[in-house]
Amino acid sequence: MSENPEASITQEQRQAYIDKYGLTPAEAGHEMLIQMIEDHFAEGLETEVEPFPETDREFGALLDQLRPLSADQLREKLVISGWLLQPYGEDQMRCQECMYYLVHKRWCDLPELDLPAKPEWWCRLWRI
Amino acid sequence: MANLLWLQGGACSGNTMSFLNAEEPSACDLVTDFGINVLWQPSLGLELGDQVKEIVEKCISGEIKLDIFVFEGTVINAPNGTGEWNRFCGRPMKDWVKELSAVADFVVAIGDCATYGGIPATAPNPSESVGLQFLKRDKGGALGEGFAAKSGLPVINIPGCPAHPDWVTQILVAVATGRAGDLTLDEFHRPKTFFSSFTQTGCTRNMHFAYKVSTTAFGQRKGCLFYDLGCRGPMTHSPCNRILWNRHSSKTRAGMPCLGCTEPEFPFFDLAPGTVFKTQTVMGVPKDMPEGVDKKGYIKLTAAAKGAAPAWAEEDIFVV
Ligand code: SF4
Ligand code: SF4
Ligand code: SF4
Repeated sequence: MSENPEASITQEQRQAYIDKYGLTPAEAGHEMLIQMIEDHFAEGLETEVEPFPETDREFGALLDQLRPLSADQLREKLVISGWLLQPYGEDQMRCQECMYYLVHKRWCDLPELDLPAKPEWWCRLWRI
Repeated sequence: MANLLWLQGGACSGNTMSFLNAEEPSACDLVTDFGINVLWQPSLGLELGDQVKEIVEKCISGEIKLDIFVFEGTVINAPNGTGEWNRFCGRPMKDWVKELSAVADFVVAIGDCATYGGIPATAPNPSESVGLQFLKRDKGGALGEGFAAKSGLPVINIPGCPAHPDWVTQILVAVATGRAGDLTLDEFHRPKTFFSSFTQTGCTRNMHFAYKVSTTAFGQRKGCLFYDLGCRGPMTHSPCNRILWNRHSSKTRAGMPCLGCTEPEFPFFDLAPGTVFKTQTVMGVPKDMPEGVDKKGYIKLTAAAKGAAPAWAEEDIFVV
């Protein structure tokens, strides 16, 4: 949770969230965050699905980009992590089998993401 | 009465410190209850300089019978194979090691440095360090592959960084009381009684390992350290979760990943940046699988375990 959300997203972005949902991502609960994520994609959000981090060095570099983001920077988190609302690749990788996925909480436990997720979703930080 | 001489090469004294913390039996019990006569030990010996040299020379000449020769630390060969970087009693330590090993009934290497080279032998190994009979996984070391002490046993290796105090004292007691014949050694000369089960055997996180719930940050009591934080418990042979440290804990119980310090390759990946406390993966799949598991099986197991994981596995079940 960011203590100073204004510092992380612009006033306009913040206002847009408030106009639409009555609150920002940092204040949103599980269902509302799911809604926000799905809406971002419905509005045409493109995320950086490739390149897949093949080694730990590349994986670590993505975490370094994610770490400074505040909880309100939902859009940036989705873009950098290469988030998708469907399984990905030949092996049909998905959150359900990912090491970070808490299947009962339906939550991505990777501290740098810390977001709700559906079992059929995926991002490029997937690992098993 | 069994005479024991303990010398130290390229070492940090960690195994001596560990030995002095032993409880079952303690270092004092070795002397009072099990008839071990400590001829000299770097932290315990009262003799200095020429007095030490005299003891060592008498062992080599046979005037003092040397039953057990214990070595801690690497055998240093630098510079250029001379061993001059580690002089002891007027000559390179490596020469004393060779001569003492030749006359001792039993030779016991304690700690990773003495067994396999450990941290000092990590590339580029500037001290030209080797273990007594191995350099990492390769046989040979300072004494050579074919070496056997007078008892017929090769060097008995008690690895660890440091070795657990009780592994040390229990093996010394077995040797000193004539039960060395009961010891069976594995391919890396480790006594099987301690080193055939895994660090994971007895780990309190085993249920989280089974249900594939990851510890994602230090200090978390939930989850298993294998998936993200680089725990080597499933492929490391040690009794760390059976014979507990300080009698009540272990690295993994306390939330610290096992670094695999009882394996010849330790430290893994030559300590390259980003390899410590981080599970090494290729395309999201761990590079090192739990022993005996292949990639295909691992992927199948993960899918099944995730599907079957109960809700409590996602919580901290250790309520204070
Ligand atoms: S890291 Fe990515 S794939 Fe894994 S649970 Fe989180 S969002 Fe899903
Ligand atoms: S923390 Fe390490 S030793 Fe414990 S269950 Fe997990 S992998 Fe095994
Ligand atoms: S837990 Fe692992 S690293 Fe720690 S002492 Fe045991 S074998 Fe060594």
